[in-house]
Amino acid sequence: MELPEELLCSKTHEFVYPENGNYVIGLTDYAVEQLGDIVFVELPSVDTEFQKGDVFGTVESVKAASEIYMPVGGKVVEINEQLIEQPELLNESPMDRAWLIKIEASSYAEDSQDLMEYDNYKDEVE
Amino acid sequence: MDKKTLIHDTQVKQGAKMVEFAGWEMPVQFSGIIDEHNTVRNALGLFDVSHMGEFFVSGKDSLNFLETLVPQQVSSLTDGKAVYCQLLNDKGGCVDDLIIYKLSDLNYLLIVNASGVEVDFNFIASRKGNFEVKLENKSDEYSLLALQGPKASDLIQDLGISKSEQPLSFYIKPAKLFGVDVLLSRTGYTGEDGFEIMMKNEHAVDFWNNLLKEGAKYGIKPIGLGARDTLRLEAAMPLYGNDLSNDISPVEAGLSWSIPKEKKENYTAKDIIFSQLQNGVKKKLIGLVMIDRAIARHEYEIYYNGKQIGHISSGCYSPTTAKNIAMGYIDTSYGLKVGDSVEVMVRNKLYKAEIVKRPFITKRNKV
Repeated sequence: MELPEELLCSKTHEFVYPENGNYVIGLTDYAVEQLGDIVFVELPSVDTEFQKGDVFGTVESVKAASEIYMPVGGKVVEINEQLIEQPELLNESPMDRAWLIKIEASSYAEDSQDLMEYDNYKDEVE
Repeated sequence: MDKKTLIHDTQVKQGAKMVEFAGWEMPVQFSGIIDEHNTVRNALGLFDVSHMGEFFVSGKDSLNFLETLVPQQVSSLTDGKAVYCQLLNDKGGCVDDLIIYKLSDLNYLLIVNASGVEVDFNFIASRKGNFEVKLENKSDEYSLLALQGPKASDLIQDLGISKSEQPLSFYIKPAKLFGVDVLLSRTGYTGEDGFEIMMKNEHAVDFWNNLLKEGAKYGIKPIGLGARDTLRLEAAMPLYGNDLSNDISPVEAGLSWSIPKEKKENYTAKDIIFSQLQNGVKKKLIGLVMIDRAIARHEYEIYYNGKQIGHISSGCYSPTTAKNIAMGYIDTSYGLKVGDSVEVMVRNKLYKAEIVKRPFITKRNKV
């Protein structure tokens, strides 16, 4: 799978990349691999505003519930409804079809400073 | 440092993801919890449960001594028969749950939870008094494998023990498998038919690999603790530490079927247990299926009409039913019963759940 060129990752295993003026947020393949079979995804309502670092949703594996954090702040413009019905998509295609939310970023340049490029992120977590 | 079973390194090579459990580093999953779960329900799975404890009680007073420890009628056991029971503290709470196997008149095997090995042995030893019994904790000498699933009996037959010679449900017998002397019992913790095989440690690794090899034609897979938990919860079998504890009696836990009312012998907390059977209990275990989309987990609160009435003891996504299931304890004073609705607090929101009959699946382990 080809990753978007400007994709960045957080230490808490979320990724973010720009798309048509907005930003796409999801969970890294490494995080999903660690969680195992995903059986439940809870996402926020459209128009909810979050700061960087806020909990914006939950994914649950068979074993446990895990919170997901905003890698950058902003307002939710779209959520991936398909994941509510098919949480297993996260296991199949975490960094592609199983994106979580799209946001209008509030201060991307500042918020993204401590994020890592994917290769560096992988080095850090593995 | 966490203890490791003899098969640990082999399991890592076979793709196991390891976690800490009761002081042991154990495989939580191999191919994935849902895949492993379905493999046990539909075909055959192999578990390493060598972390569990094996005690032997022998000598002249074995039977009389065991009768004082558990509510079950140990004297009703014939040779080779096993029984599920609980060790009770003075308040009637569960020190642990265990299976007692009668090997012969003066020789009993007790299999206890990993978390209970030290606690239980000390507890049992402290109750010995003047009984002429020998108590031996041989947990470090034996390994225990569980072969579970509808194909288990076929595989054991392939290995030279015909179906008519295999122990029936809740029986144990000495057997030879792969040329090794083992104790073969028809017990398990999945709700499926299956066996538990106890052998000396030195045979464990070969045994594990041989079972995987010989079971390949049935689609056998190694299974981790993750699927063990979802399998046992679907079968509504209690997990000590979640559904059972020192503060929970077997009557409260819905285990009254394991307390014979006609037992004459005295045992620890018998008066409390009998009073609970007669007068009822303040809290009791229930089964829940989530109606709203949410998963109830251990320690989440249960509500009824806006009031907290209990808590979840175990909960998970159930692969067999594709529902979110749970067990929990509720205050009995509300008179809630099967079919009634309650709510579960999940991340500060209330979600609807229905009280259902346990188990959550039809058990298929009666032979």
